[in-house]
Amino acid sequence: MAKLHSKKLFIKALNKKFGKDFDLASQKTEYKRLGPEQSARKREFMEFSKKLEGKRGISFYNPYVHAGGIPLGQRQLVPYKLSGTEFIVEGDDLHFVNNPAMQQMWDDVRRTIIVGLDMAHEVLEKRLGKEVTPETINNYLEILNHAMPGAAVVQEHMVETHPGLVDDCNVRVFTGDDALADEIDPQYLVDINKLFPADQAEQLKAAMGKTTWQAIHIPTIVVRSCDGGTTSRWSAMQLGMTFIDAYNMAAGEAAVADLAYAAKHAAVLQMSDMLPARRARGPNNPGGLSFGFMSDMVQTSRTKPQDPVMVSLNVVAAGAMLYDQIWLGSYMSGGVGFTQYATAAYTNDVLDDFSYYAADYAVDKYGGFAKAPATVETAKDIATEATLYGIEQYESFPTLLEDHFGGSQRASVLAACSGIGAGLATGHSQIGLAGWYLSMLLHKEAWGRLGFFGYDLQDQCGPTNVFSYQSDESNPVELRGANYPNYAMNVGHQGEYAGITQSAHAGRGDAFAVNPLIKVCFANPALIFTWDDIRRGFGLGGAREFRAAGDRGLVMPAV
Amino acid sequence: MAYTAQFYPGSTSVGINRRKQMSGNLEKLRDIPEADIVAILGHRTPGADYSSTHPPLKEMGEPDCPIRQIVAPTPGAAAGDRVRYNQFADSMYFAPSTPYWRSYWAAINCRGCDPGTLSGRQIIEARERDLDALTKVQMDSEVTDMALCSMRGCTVHGHSLRLEENGMMFDMLSRTEMGKDGNIYYVKDQVGIPLDKKINVGKPMSEAEAKKRTTIFRFDGVAIGGKVGARKYDEAVEALHHMWTLRTQWGYRPE
Repeated sequence: MAKLHSKKLFIKALNKKFGKDFDLASQKTEYKRLGPEQSARKREFMEFSKKLEGKRGISFYNPYVHAGGIPLGQRQLVPYKLSGTEFIVEGDDLHFVNNPAMQQMWDDVRRTIIVGLDMAHEVLEKRLGKEVTPETINNYLEILNHAMPGAAVVQEHMVETHPGLVDDCNVRVFTGDDALADEIDPQYLVDINKLFPADQAEQLKAAMGKTTWQAIHIPTIVVRSCDGGTTSRWSAMQLGMTFIDAYNMAAGEAAVADLAYAAKHAAVLQMSDMLPARRARGPNNPGGLSFGFMSDMVQTSRTKPQDPVMVSLNVVAAGAMLYDQIWLGSYMSGGVGFTQYATAAYTNDVLDDFSYYAADYAVDKYGGFAKAPATVETAKDIATEATLYGIEQYESFPTLLEDHFGGSQRASVLAACSGIGAGLATGHSQIGLAGWYLSMLLHKEAWGRLGFFGYDLQDQCGPTNVFSYQSDESNPVELRGANYPNYAMNVGHQGEYAGITQSAHAGRGDAFAVNPLIKVCFANPALIFTWDDIRRGFGLGGAREFRAAGDRGLVMPAV
Repeated sequence: MAYTAQFYPGSTSVGINRRKQMSGNLEKLRDIPEADIVAILGHRTPGADYSSTHPPLKEMGEPDCPIRQIVAPTPGAAAGDRVRYNQFADSMYFAPSTPYWRSYWAAINCRGCDPGTLSGRQIIEARERDLDALTKVQMDSEVTDMALCSMRGCTVHGHSLRLEENGMMFDMLSRTEMGKDGNIYYVKDQVGIPLDKKINVGKPMSEAEAKKRTTIFRFDGVAIGGKVGARKYDEAVEALHHMWTLRTQWGYRPE
């Protein structure tokens, strides 16, 4: 039997959090009840609030109004280590309001649209008699990178956007046609051959065929003022004007309507679907974002393909932040509690440790990733072992249990490592999902508790939807998303489902989970967020080292 | 032959204790005065009349309904009491009960109640006089250890935290304290409002006693699946695997 993972990765984080003097295995401690002053960030909040008191003319942040004058901080307020990184930040730094990198991650999604070029080129050639060559495409892209940020073409005397406010906007193309790619000016190309490992590049190009696509990222400031539903409209207007300019077309003839449809609407890929009326959001909002697309946006599969666990964990982190903190925690609910749930999945190396254990167990037993039979028996074996391992760690290290003080946090982490382990082992996301549900039930059986009132509802009834292909409960995990019937309610699930989806494909060595266009589009080096290392990005944001786009400072008086 | 419900599998102390709590066959360990329990609940002043949300059922002229003829109302429902709650937090360090077992106990044994289960707390809602009665059973019996369990309507944080040095579960609001005489005293009601007088609820269980009565599986007590490298599944795991497999396979409906 090979040596199983036994690094206890979380111990380093616990030592940083609680201090090396603490006995991490002790079940008793002295609670010093030092209050909010023990935290540098809470002190900063109090000082800032005091400074603003006069200006606001109304009371403000004051932790001493809490619980009848007993402020938080009766126990030790501890910092958080971003998993897989050296960043240590305060918990407050991981609320998306305080973390510009998290905001940018979401902005990068909602400001993105992928639009095909081939159909437009066909209309240009066949209907309008224009010649399309690599030179005309390069010319078109130069004009488009002028126009897309909000500048005028064709028409005279138009208002325009300030380049200093929209400099994050760009459009590049990508193609499965190597001959065409060679002819495109490198500044306008997302170069699949350079950005992806050779085997992944071949998979992507084979899936795309010789088609050509535009990765369009409109200005961050636009989607922050409007919303994701704006992106296709903003993009469409500038695309139309650019075609007219680049190919010297009449602005009014009927044939241009054909081009407009072909260029703006016929081959458009939104990042997410629109939602039904009761949730009432347009496309490119988080509620319609599938787990497969989420997996494909994250680029760790491209930069660290040799570590499928790390690939999966970064998808978990991206999903936990977007689905839990921003979608459920703000669009759907509001407040601050959701951050606390979500961070458990990407801080302090806990899920990392448990997932590497599950992966080692699977590799040891089944001979490698994606080698185990895709059966319920495999899910049972791996999820049981992974869950029992995790439970034993929580019991062995009381500070670990204290760190994940809520049952929902522990449930997310235990079930995620089980699902990731089963997904990696079999290369099948549905088997991963089966492992998730078994973990939930086993956890509840062991400790007589699971998540909060309602958190675990979907988990206790969930096993029946794993292999169901009926009506609205159907779909492979790749195509399920934040608005899947049973998943639309509770924090601490959706990012993990995305990670489980990714684990199956990482185990198989796939270049993408569900859509090659998304994978290539988010490889664009000009994106602002760190899509190849999600947790590092969050750490940079928490450490106040991340510069986000969409800043209005340029056109406002200095503070 | 009369049917005897089995409730739960396993021959370990945890399995036995789980069956015991579900069956309602609880050992009474103490006798806390009803007035003290009412004070800790904090819904009304001890001795005060129950508030009501409707007149007694007998005065209401209920419709002719076969279900009403079969099901006798609880005393609280008959009197028209309002619905109130108790909520307990149980430490993961061998508290005798756990949220799900509190809920199972209530759902199986207490008519007309509505249990709600979370990870760090468990709430039971019921008509007020019914609630008073069931709370007394909980407070007096082996499901409650006064150091490892406490009644907390809000700010419940503590179930997963390390214990205080004196063995008590952490409570941000310090609703209970250990006296010099070794007894536990409630000094605040369940939502943290100071009580007029301290209420003595008796001595906590010893660590050995708590481990003997607990319903939580832990590797340093009764492990549910052995340890890493030495797996040994409790019967509860075998039963669970069986149920999970059937539920998973049932969901596959290719027709």
